[in-house]
Amino acid sequence: MIIKSRLLAGTALVSLLALSACSTEAADANADAESTQASTVTVEHAQGSTDVPVNPETVYTFDLGALDTMDALDIDVDGVPAANFPESLSQYGAEEITKIGSMKEPDFEAINAGAPDLIIISGRVADSYEELSKIAPTIDLSVDNADAWNSFKKNTQTLGSIFDKEDLVEEKLDALEGKVEDTKELAADAGNGLIVMTSGGEMTAYGAGSRFGIIHDVLGVTPAAEVKSEGTHGESVSFNYIADTNPDHLFVIDRDVAVGTSGEAASAVLDNGLVKSTNASRNGKIVPLDSASWYLVGYGLNNVDTMVNTVHDAL
Amino acid sequence: MTVPSTPVPAPAPASAAAPPERRRLVRSTAALVLGVCAVVVLAAVSLFVGVGDLSLASLLAGDPTTAMLFWVSQLPRTLSIVLAGMALSVAGLIMQLMARNKFVEPSTVGTVESAQLGILAVTVLLPGASMFLKMSTASVFAAAGTALFLLILRRIPLRNTLIVPLVGIMLGGVISAVTTFFAYRTDLLQTLNSWMIGDFSGVLRGRYELLWIVGALTVIGYLAADRFTVAGMGQDFTTNLGLNYNRVMALGLVIVSLISAVVVVSVGSIPFLGLIVPNLVSLLIGDNVRRAVPWVAVFGAGFVLLCDIIGRTIRYPYEIPVGVVVSAVGSVIFLYLLLRKRGSHA
Repeated sequence: MIIKSRLLAGTALVSLLALSACSTEAADANADAESTQASTVTVEHAQGSTDVPVNPETVYTFDLGALDTMDALDIDVDGVPAANFPESLSQYGAEEITKIGSMKEPDFEAINAGAPDLIIISGRVADSYEELSKIAPTIDLSVDNADAWNSFKKNTQTLGSIFDKEDLVEEKLDALEGKVEDTKELAADAGNGLIVMTSGGEMTAYGAGSRFGIIHDVLGVTPAAEVKSEGTHGESVSFNYIADTNPDHLFVIDRDVAVGTSGEAASAVLDNGLVKSTNASRNGKIVPLDSASWYLVGYGLNNVDTMVNTVHDAL
Repeated sequence: MTVPSTPVPAPAPASAAAPPERRRLVRSTAALVLGVCAVVVLAAVSLFVGVGDLSLASLLAGDPTTAMLFWVSQLPRTLSIVLAGMALSVAGLIMQLMARNKFVEPSTVGTVESAQLGILAVTVLLPGASMFLKMSTASVFAAAGTALFLLILRRIPLRNTLIVPLVGIMLGGVISAVTTFFAYRTDLLQTLNSWMIGDFSGVLRGRYELLWIVGALTVIGYLAADRFTVAGMGQDFTTNLGLNYNRVMALGLVIVSLISAVVVVSVGSIPFLGLIVPNLVSLLIGDNVRRAVPWVAVFGAGFVLLCDIIGRTIRYPYEIPVGVVVSAVGSVIFLYLLLRKRGSHA
């Protein structure tokens, strides 16, 4: 993270304004520049690097993880997508917060009209990076699932540097790392685990390096099977697979609840002899993961804390 | 009311000078025996394919885990594949008779798309709806969509072979667009996928029994096959033979819609099946519908069994949904049939 106080740029900008105003003299402009300090931060992110103003006035975010982090750092967010916010972020569903599209589709008119100073995006709207960059400085804070923890830390520190809260971020990250270490110790001799998501009565399994890989990669739960799910979608599996893998812990995300349907609840989908034959079921270790927290929000300061606690308490 | 039946001539030894009709019969009988054998073999494979060390030996030895796997998961899955494969193929055949066109089937005339719209409507309006309610609503929607297609078809003066499926695909596209729009607005796109793409991975004892309904419908379809042939000749012809045209059409509509709706509700859509199987059968044994129905059923079951086994083994232990496999294989065969027909009639 390089912070540059761009006096030169500031001077140039102010002198341009001065020229257009056609009245002020250059000498005055120089003096002005020294006092206003129009400073920016150069942010390295998933799609390149962007110059972002320090403490931007109006912030829009498509990434609920970043929203959760900013919420934890007491930063005002002015625009969010229309989504089924989890309990912890329900205040952002309110009328007065600008709605900037859906989780997957930016509403360019609304964003343009709102004239934001910073737009934060991630995987779901990553393709709109070019378009959004034309409106305002845009940064892509997607978490790299292959190196989730460092990626999450880097994103959080980025937000810290933009909003001038580096110390608070470090403090919170340190506390989190402590919890992660505790959980790792527990996980070391707690047996293995399998992560599944249920949707429409069918199941997909997720492994290390997947969107829910934090359980294996960061918290050290031994994977019950080598699930090679790359990208955001898991592997389609049958109930036989669950019985055959016989995990000691079964972590279950109910996709139909994540999107606000009360379809077949995961418990009903999993209520069958094959699942009941597993160690996880016998020892009461079928762990429901809050779908909003795991599926929609993901890597945010408060939310990671919640996720770590969930796994910690389940082991 | 008795169903007019066609007496089947007794098979005779094929000789070089045998009339084509007889030769065809011999060929078809041989194929039927082969077909039935193939389906039995495939079903046996399907029973023992899958995750878990399930083998005939351990099943006969009475190992409780193996027995549980077999009764709860393997057997229901194989049964549901056979039922769905048979029923969808026969539904395709009936649809083709009703529309007097070889290139239609429930997934190319808007039936399946309408059923999906019906399920979506139930899911949005009555989230906790029972399976039966979902199925009923899907059936009503499917019937309405199919009826709409048949009405449009009546208003098309020139019935070019290729226009009919095109109209159907367009209608299906429109209905599908409506469904997708509402699914998008209600955040159900991913859930919609589970009805869009047929998948037997979630089939367990207690979750497939609705499919016995389509088994019964297949039998009804067989018994009434000749009427659909007659109805396919048009309204005047049917009335002259003393059949109630509208009643026959309504019966066909009910059978096709119910079969499509039940299969979509329980496993999802399996496109092209009702198209390929009847066409292949007609290549083999000709167009005697009454004789063709058992074949269509046997071939349909075999084809889906094969596709599901492929889907289960190609990326073992993970699965590729059967809908994807059938579509991939089916679209190629569909194109072949289309181009072949074009070539001979152009």
